[in-house]
Amino acid sequence: MGLKELSEKKEFILLDGAMGTMLQAAGLKMGETPEAWNIEHPEELYKIHRQYVESGSDIIYANTFGANRHKLAKCGYPTDRVIKEAIRIARSAAEGYDTLVALDVGPIGQMLEPTGTLTFEEAYDIYKEMVIAGSDADLIVFETMTDLYDLKAAILAAKENSCLPVICTMTFEENMRTFTGTDIAAMCLTAEGLGVDAIGVNCSLGPKELYPVVEKITKWTTLPVVVKPNAGLPDPVTNLYNCGPEEFAELAEKLLPLGIKFIGGCCGTDPRYIKELKKMVTGRKYVQRNVQIPAACCSATDVVVIDQPRVIGERINPTGKKRFKQALLEGDIDYILGQAIEQIHAGADILDVNVGLPAIDERAMMVRAVKALQSVVEVPLQLDSTIPEVMEAALRVYNGKPIVNSVNAEEKSLNTVLPLVKKYGAAVVGLTLDENGIPKTAQKRFELAKKILDRAMAIGIRREDVYIDCLTLTASAEQENVMQTVNAVRRVKEELGLKTVLGVSNISFGLPSREIVNHNFLMMCLTSGLDLPIMNPNIDSMIATVRTYKLLTNIDKNSVDFIAHYGGEGSGPVKKAEAKPVMDLPYAIENGLKGEGADITAELLKTTDAMVIVNEMLVPALDKAGERFEQGKIFLPQLIQTAGAAQACFEVIKQKMLSEGGGGVSKGKIILATVKGDIHDIGKNIVKVLLENYGYEVIDLGKDVDYQTVVDAAIENDVHLVGLSALMTTTLVSMEETIKLLRKNNVDCKIMVGGAVVTPEYAEQIGADFYSRDAKQSVDIARQVFGN
Amino acid sequence: MKGCGSVVLEELDKREALRYMGFGSSAPDPGTLALLEECEKRLLRVIKPCFVYRCFDIKAGNEGVEVLNTDLLLRGKDIGSHLSGCCKCILLASTLSMQADAVIRQYEAVDMAAAFVADMLASAAVEQVCERAEDRITAELTEFGDLYRTWRFSPGYGDFPLDIQGKFLDILDAPKRIGLCANVNNILIPRKSVTAVIGLSEEKIPRARQGCSICNMRDTCGFRKRGDHCGA
Repeated sequence: MGLKELSEKKEFILLDGAMGTMLQAAGLKMGETPEAWNIEHPEELYKIHRQYVESGSDIIYANTFGANRHKLAKCGYPTDRVIKEAIRIARSAAEGYDTLVALDVGPIGQMLEPTGTLTFEEAYDIYKEMVIAGSDADLIVFETMTDLYDLKAAILAAKENSCLPVICTMTFEENMRTFTGTDIAAMCLTAEGLGVDAIGVNCSLGPKELYPVVEKITKWTTLPVVVKPNAGLPDPVTNLYNCGPEEFAELAEKLLPLGIKFIGGCCGTDPRYIKELKKMVTGRKYVQRNVQIPAACCSATDVVVIDQPRVIGERINPTGKKRFKQALLEGDIDYILGQAIEQIHAGADILDVNVGLPAIDERAMMVRAVKALQSVVEVPLQLDSTIPEVMEAALRVYNGKPIVNSVNAEEKSLNTVLPLVKKYGAAVVGLTLDENGIPKTAQKRFELAKKILDRAMAIGIRREDVYIDCLTLTASAEQENVMQTVNAVRRVKEELGLKTVLGVSNISFGLPSREIVNHNFLMMCLTSGLDLPIMNPNIDSMIATVRTYKLLTNIDKNSVDFIAHYGGEGSGPVKKAEAKPVMDLPYAIENGLKGEGADITAELLKTTDAMVIVNEMLVPALDKAGERFEQGKIFLPQLIQTAGAAQACFEVIKQKMLSEGGGGVSKGKIILATVKGDIHDIGKNIVKVLLENYGYEVIDLGKDVDYQTVVDAAIENDVHLVGLSALMTTTLVSMEETIKLLRKNNVDCKIMVGGAVVTPEYAEQIGADFYSRDAKQSVDIARQVFGN
Repeated sequence: MKGCGSVVLEELDKREALRYMGFGSSAPDPGTLALLEECEKRLLRVIKPCFVYRCFDIKAGNEGVEVLNTDLLLRGKDIGSHLSGCCKCILLASTLSMQADAVIRQYEAVDMAAAFVADMLASAAVEQVCERAEDRITAELTEFGDLYRTWRFSPGYGDFPLDIQGKFLDILDAPKRIGLCANVNNILIPRKSVTAVIGLSEEKIPRARQGCSICNMRDTCGFRKRGDHCGA
């Protein structure tokens, strides 16, 4: 019998109780690897499993929770052997019963990027190894997960390397989130999208405290719901839990009306708890839920329900933007992050991400951009690429439920894009065009929308996950067809009941006063049923139009949002020019005034050569700040603020040079890296800001950088100064190894080292050319090396 | 709940953060003060500080101090002398939560000065969490109320090895209970976290003897150069 038959046969499925606390009672020392007992004490495991089987568990979890290669390293047994043994023991304990055996998989025990250092790909590999080793089980359970990203790696590993059913449960705290901030709805949307068979919560709290968590889960998934609570929390001295078996079952009973299917116990529970649960569910009927999950996309922490207009920011896209193209060519991720944060501050709910440029490896850049973006922004992303390989790579590493931009009604597109959308559980933008181009009439576009919807639903994509783009044509070229778009939006919305999406800015291409045309067109579309305008939220009149629409349609109740944005003094959408105090560039820089610095620079550029501004104003101002820092007259935060202001000025200069077709400012290329094993990179980043503001081009390799990566980057980019940073005594050796490898490869470069634990003596000992005490000194070293 | 809990900080220790930034006795500039205010607000809005601890009997052996009923051995002469005369120890782990890391990361993308200030403020804050945890320990472990307590001694101090972080956290079930892990290089993640050993003794404990003399950073420490100390 499999999970499916079991579900059909039984009203409720009883899971087992704790393993860890049972093993401790049998003599496992704290800190010892419980899975080692599969080899060393199989009889103890048999006993525990058998008790659960006899108490009424329909599914028992094999003792494989931490049988991953990272955790098993402590005891020396290989994953494959530990898991096979565990399943064999569980099977023999289930003999004579219909009890199923689950491969139980817990978190790896290391946090994933971006907070931790384990990559998504490494996590996938670790889970894959476990899934393959556990092929003899009846099902796979992922439990006690706290990071949605970790869970996604695990689910993909299961789906791609096994045919077994998958159950996943996460651990939520009283604030209804996991430790990493994962939202309950985000878990449900993502995991159900990835095709698991049941979903729920385990560990964390007792059955009473879990009620609101379970309630929310039952509202966000159509799948059977799993609950496996703790018996309270342990006492710090006795390690005893505070909720007994009868009380546990009584509290669990209150969860049944919510519509749960699987119930068991986690930490602190034992076979008595399962017996009580069995007694409690006997004769009870499973409560069928009839849930309607709304159209929504999400990151791990933010769920955006498309129940009102939501703004998709369009700025992360190189089309027509020289500065953006330059950033892509230079691999300047910080520029992209800046664009993201600016749009979110302006009011974007979702960000479109397009990094397509013929000269670069789009796939690698997309993966890098998605990972970097989700490390600093919480809004969901809309992944935008015309290349299926790029799209799949982005879908893989995305943490949450994204929107795919886009599929169209061409056969080739439908056949390649929709299966990706289904596999990764995304929502999708459907463009109403096909082999014959964009139809002129609303009727034809409506028909294409219907075709896309039918094809999506035929492979199991939910209706709510198809968003239709009726395509904006430019009014200057095809004025007579503008209303076709507006009408198509209305029909798709009203007759197909689908969410609609539209890039609005194209409407005004070739016209004067584009802003006026854009925001009026936007209002027309919103009124006709547009849900997801793709637009530039940084333009006040555009975002103001959306806010006004929400105010006038009673979506923004009591005008709360509108007043919050426009109710204050002088904070209207159209800002009046403010009288600026008389200020020069050095003053702005010394005082860390970014906006003012940028404005003055822009003004100066009209009359003054860029390099004159750099050499005669920016650099002396920075020098002065540097001197004052060395004299102890100003402190590090002030020095960095100064550098930040200079950076804003540089940005203006860079834009100008690019628009005139020139290159950037570069006084020399410098590599910076925090050495392998070390992830303290704030010091290195401060050095970077300062160096950049003296006009040096910094190739930032990041943190935890392999020796070879430094060597390769130095050779590839012909770099003559390498800066290495380390903050731990334990990683100093990596600094030495990196230097050795650079020397061994005869890389023609000077090396400077710094970081809290580095001393001038040590720097000399490991063969560095310079010891840099602080960020200011690194600039002096660069000047010496490059002679400028 | 005993042995584990969350902490609500009403404000963060800005004075301490300024000290970490190197201001010493100098008055901070308005720009830095404004950044401190902003970073404090932002951190307070999102962090979920919490801690977990357990109390164990200990026994001094030849190779180190044994934490009984676990397979943890506290090696090194410095932890040995820290716990000399103690009959029990408390293993404590505190974290400011990964939301603090996220705030610092977000600032790093747009404003390094703010990132630096937030980083220093978060470092000061995790010490506040440890202080609060110690208050809770006092309130909860009333049966040991008459025992004297040492100060907090963390892996990485002196010759107390960092590589016990993983096992230390496993014993407290810290990954599950407060979301605190160590990576392969024994760096705590979330970053603004502390693990520490507190000794309990029936005898009065002599005042801390070690201070800077056992510190790994004594040759390069910015505080020492200014005649100050970090307070650890």
